[in-house]
Amino acid sequence: MSRLVKKSPSLCTDLPLDNTDIRNKLHLLWQLLRSCFGPTGRLKQVHNNIGGHVVTTSTSSVLLPAISSSQPFINLIKTSILNHVSRFSDCGLFAAILCLSLIERAKRSGLRGSVAISVNKHLLGLCTGYLQGEDCGCKVKLDFCSSLSLIKLSRSIISSKPACVLTEAEAVHISKLAVQAFLLTVPCNSPGIVRLGKIVTVSVEGHSVLNSAVFPGLLVDMPDVFGLNKVENLHSNPLRVVLFSASLAGDLSELGDGIIEVHPGVDTDAQILDQLLELGKRVVAEEVKLFVCQKVIHPVLQQYLRRHGIIVIERLGINVMEPLTQLTGAQPVATLHTTIPAKAYGKVRDVDIRQFGSKTMLHLHPPGESAICTMILCHRNETMLSELKVVCQKTEHVLRLTLREPSALLGGGCTETHLAAYVRHKSMNEVTETASALGCTQTEYFLGVEGFCRSLESVAAALEHDGGNCLIDLTHAHHWTLPADVITEHMEDSLGLCGCGVMQSSPNKKWTYLSTKYPQFSPAPLSRDTTVQPRVLDSFTAKLNALQVAVETANLALDVRYVIQDTN
Amino acid sequence: MPLRFSLLLFFMVSQKPIFGHLHAKSKHLCAFEGVEMLPVEHLHLEHVLQTVSVLESVILRSFGPEGGQVLFIRDTGQAMLSRSGTHILTALRLDHPLARMVVECVLKHSSVTGDGSKTFILLLASLLRMIHTAACKGTNVSHAYNSRKAAEAATARHLADKLLAFALEELADVIAMGVVPYGYCISWEDFTAKTQSPAHTNNNCVQKLLASFFLSRLGRTHCDFISNLTCELLSHWKFKNNQPPFTLQFVNDNLPALHTPVSGFPISCSRLIEGQVIHRDFATPCPQTDHHPVKAVVFTRYLQPKLLSAGEVLELGYGEQGKERSIVQFSAWAERSLECVIANLQSLGVSVILSAVKQSAAVLALAAQADMCIVECVSEDELSLFAQLSGARPASDCWMIESDHVATLTFCRPILLGAHRYVHVAFHDSEEAVQVKPCSLVICGPGEGQTDQYACAFRDAIHMLRLTLEPMGMTATTASKRTLQSNKNTSLEMENQIASAPPFQKCVLEPGCVIPAGGTFEFLLNHALLQHHGRSCSVSDDTNMGIPAVSQLLANVLLSLPRQIYSHSPRCFLQTQTRLLSFIENHSHPFSLVQKQEHNTILIQGWGKSERSLEDGKQSMHCCREADVSSKVFMLDLGLESVSCKYQLLLAVLQCVSSLLQVDAVLRTQTALRTQSHRLPNISWEGTEDEAEE
Repeated sequence: MSRLVKKSPSLCTDLPLDNTDIRNKLHLLWQLLRSCFGPTGRLKQVHNNIGGHVVTTSTSSVLLPAISSSQPFINLIKTSILNHVSRFSDCGLFAAILCLSLIERAKRSGLRGSVAISVNKHLLGLCTGYLQGEDCGCKVKLDFCSSLSLIKLSRSIISSKPACVLTEAEAVHISKLAVQAFLLTVPCNSPGIVRLGKIVTVSVEGHSVLNSAVFPGLLVDMPDVFGLNKVENLHSNPLRVVLFSASLAGDLSELGDGIIEVHPGVDTDAQILDQLLELGKRVVAEEVKLFVCQKVIHPVLQQYLRRHGIIVIERLGINVMEPLTQLTGAQPVATLHTTIPAKAYGKVRDVDIRQFGSKTMLHLHPPGESAICTMILCHRNETMLSELKVVCQKTEHVLRLTLREPSALLGGGCTETHLAAYVRHKSMNEVTETASALGCTQTEYFLGVEGFCRSLESVAAALEHDGGNCLIDLTHAHHWTLPADVITEHMEDSLGLCGCGVMQSSPNKKWTYLSTKYPQFSPAPLSRDTTVQPRVLDSFTAKLNALQVAVETANLALDVRYVIQDTN
Repeated sequence: MPLRFSLLLFFMVSQKPIFGHLHAKSKHLCAFEGVEMLPVEHLHLEHVLQTVSVLESVILRSFGPEGGQVLFIRDTGQAMLSRSGTHILTALRLDHPLARMVVECVLKHSSVTGDGSKTFILLLASLLRMIHTAACKGTNVSHAYNSRKAAEAATARHLADKLLAFALEELADVIAMGVVPYGYCISWEDFTAKTQSPAHTNNNCVQKLLASFFLSRLGRTHCDFISNLTCELLSHWKFKNNQPPFTLQFVNDNLPALHTPVSGFPISCSRLIEGQVIHRDFATPCPQTDHHPVKAVVFTRYLQPKLLSAGEVLELGYGEQGKERSIVQFSAWAERSLECVIANLQSLGVSVILSAVKQSAAVLALAAQADMCIVECVSEDELSLFAQLSGARPASDCWMIESDHVATLTFCRPILLGAHRYVHVAFHDSEEAVQVKPCSLVICGPGEGQTDQYACAFRDAIHMLRLTLEPMGMTATTASKRTLQSNKNTSLEMENQIASAPPFQKCVLEPGCVIPAGGTFEFLLNHALLQHHGRSCSVSDDTNMGIPAVSQLLANVLLSLPRQIYSHSPRCFLQTQTRLLSFIENHSHPFSLVQKQEHNTILIQGWGKSERSLEDGKQSMHCCREADVSSKVFMLDLGLESVSCKYQLLLAVLQCVSSLLQVDAVLRTQTALRTQSHRLPNISWEGTEDEAEE
């Protein structure tokens, strides 16, 4: 009442999910995201109304922030998915598609909100229990003895992002690089808590993807080649490094708020410069060969240092500071007057100059074993390069997740169909107990189960964009795709491999279309002695969390009975 | 004049979204001295009822077992989910003065109890409806009133006042007689029992009390999980040899520092972690060594001395002896003094510095060289919690560091929670320090909206527990305790006390009394009120004519709540009521304390058993009346709720009604500051107004 600016009352919507407009919008979002899913997903161009640059993508982490809607539901789902992606880097589209189809199916089934929610929650528990169990039929253990399965995992992630526009060979090259870089960040012989290193990514535009490379150590920009001619005769390895985190431009920042009165004839600037040169002298006397500063170095000091054969790097930026301290073992110095203790100096084994297109970079080799590496990513144009950079970061993150949980799930939609078959089978067997425990009738329970399984299967079906048919085999419940132009008589010839590539079509297999009803069966696990390895793998940790987040978000959305929108 | 008028129109139009239909009511534009136009709205009972009904219709969506969440979008575009009545009501940004008055009342009530805001609105609506009916029926148009409306209003007002008077005087006794005997007393020791045996029934009660609270606030899916987590947290934070409210107070005060919201994970990932999480990252490379224990110091000020504070003047030039005084000397001195400070800390073995402010780059660099790590900009709340837990004093002067400033930690390491890296510390068990197992709560959720919602619910749950366990009314506490203690010997005396019910002994409600949820309180009180009605009809007919009618009205109002709870199946409502009534009749001597104890256990254990028996699929021998299979839904909902919270709620609603009915008209004054074009000439006055707003 004391407000002078009048607040307008809020806009209210009762039972929002019964509103056709809102449901249409959700369906539209589902279609949009579905069309992006998987290796053959369609790309989306995002450009704003003020002529900013166009982004071509199919990645959820780029696409979702670009979708802005006045519809609170869309925003609710969007933020949930984005939060998941920011933690796990993968399976964002999976979560979004699953969540949206769960909402749609629950609404279509006409179940009471609370029943749909409790059934969903129960089935989620079934799924997570199964996935985490020992006898899970769609999980494979990752073998760290060979890099093969890691490469497969990273390749699945990279090839699921068609906006990178990579050829087969390029995709393999990038997946290998990603695994190589990841392995370089794992320290070999450090006892106790393992601290992973860091990959510094440098992107170079206009070169072939095959020129991309990974280097142990750090590559830093050298804008002026001036003074680098002497680098060749610097092989007094290892080189001593000093690292400054304070500005060496001659300013005194920590003076305070008082007033300074300067008498005529006193040249404060000269005094400070003298002090800086004094510092330079000490550094030269300490036989430092590489002088690095996070901020600006006074040109006179730079000149002085170069004259004494020291390589000077300034304006390093805060991001590279931590990797550099790890690499060299130096401790950043921020004092001008105190003597620099011996242990604050760091070491670099060697320096090289490397040329990538227009970029000249100084390669700092680590003195011993180090978990720092640099990844140079090249691509033909900026859009693809930025997508490639995003994808590589995601891959690195997913590979790191495997350290905690060394498993992967079958890709290509096989996990989803397998899980759906398992849930159908399991829920059929214990329907009476579960229905009474959840406080619903058996019919309601079956409706809920059907909606849940269909949603899972629809995610698998979303991988197909070219009009093909999706099938499921009736033994292992894997996902198969039948191209659109095939006549059904020759089905087993044209099916080839299943989605994940572990199964081969054979005449004694039975299939059914995903959209049809099939008799429930217990999906068989993979035979242990199989020599065939899956071709497509998905991150276990990311997918498990995505599943949980999708169901939880769908439950939240189903639980919303009223929307209040503050229009101020 | 046209401008004024348009403003007024704006006023009306803006109310459209939710109170559109209210504008059909009588509204006059009165001319005062021909200059000012003040719209006067005469408020009639129907208007009040209409207003509250609109609120009720919103609240109903999230009430009871079939209720859901309300999604609201803040003016910043941020989405929030909530089932909390207070959140929903404030988010509506109501304009109607009457509705705002109601919301104020609800907020005031729930700030005390942390619970019952939705029930408040429902009770209020139902009470107004009853009063309205009663007033319409019972009003004879007398000559004293100008119109029928005025007469109705007077009757309603009178009724509301009588209701309030009745509640203030007798409600506590009625509850003590008719409800409390069937309840159960939880006490602080129940938490203590938890650590020894997790399956202890008493602790089960606390957990159930919390579970039914979280059910109403968060929905069914996670209420058990969160209530278990809450119980666990509280049992960790149990201070030995301290009163229960102390723990609750402590957790309540430190909740911002004790919980960490993490988005992007499912709610089931929420957990307790040992020690304290400081919501900042290390400013220097974090400690590589794992040596134990870690010594830490808290600083509240800058470590590097400021060369010049404001107002001081530094003269640079030539001194008397011709010695040059250079700026460089000053900064060198500052650096050297900093080195001394760091060296001093090093000699004390300190390896972690927690700072309330941002330190200079020189401090960071020198500390890193001395193998110390610094955490900057730690919030005041967290530092005070740290000081309490570690027992170390925060240091303000970096030159005066003594051993009692140094805290000993078992570890201090980075912890990655969601997107952020924080500092995780754990405390050494020392004799003089508080004997608790410090732990922090990590609240996970898919988005920020959910984690906020859970944190809010958590805070309110603590409020609710506090109110439940605290004796009611500070002044009357001692009196009631004395009464209870003196009466523990003879039950007869107790009966007399209650029957006579002198006004200074109103607080006969024991602290910590809980009753099964799902409408039990309402059914029991309804029954008790009707009996009371019968008794007062026969015994004290001549003393107060109004009382019977009033208690009957209140009894009817109460039934509206279980009706809403069982709105999806009216059969359940009747079944539950019948079952309870037959239970009361079969155990109809609730006045003996010994027996009362028995009753408690019977009611609760009987129902608990029947719940279990349902799972087992067989009938329980004990209390088979309750184990009616057809009432599955009721059993599922079975939790516990606090009697004292309910009592407070009833009082608050009655107070709200009587104050609502006191209002008879709304005057809409026009404050001319709403638009830029209509500035008042008196600028100084406007200035003060602005200040007042801020």
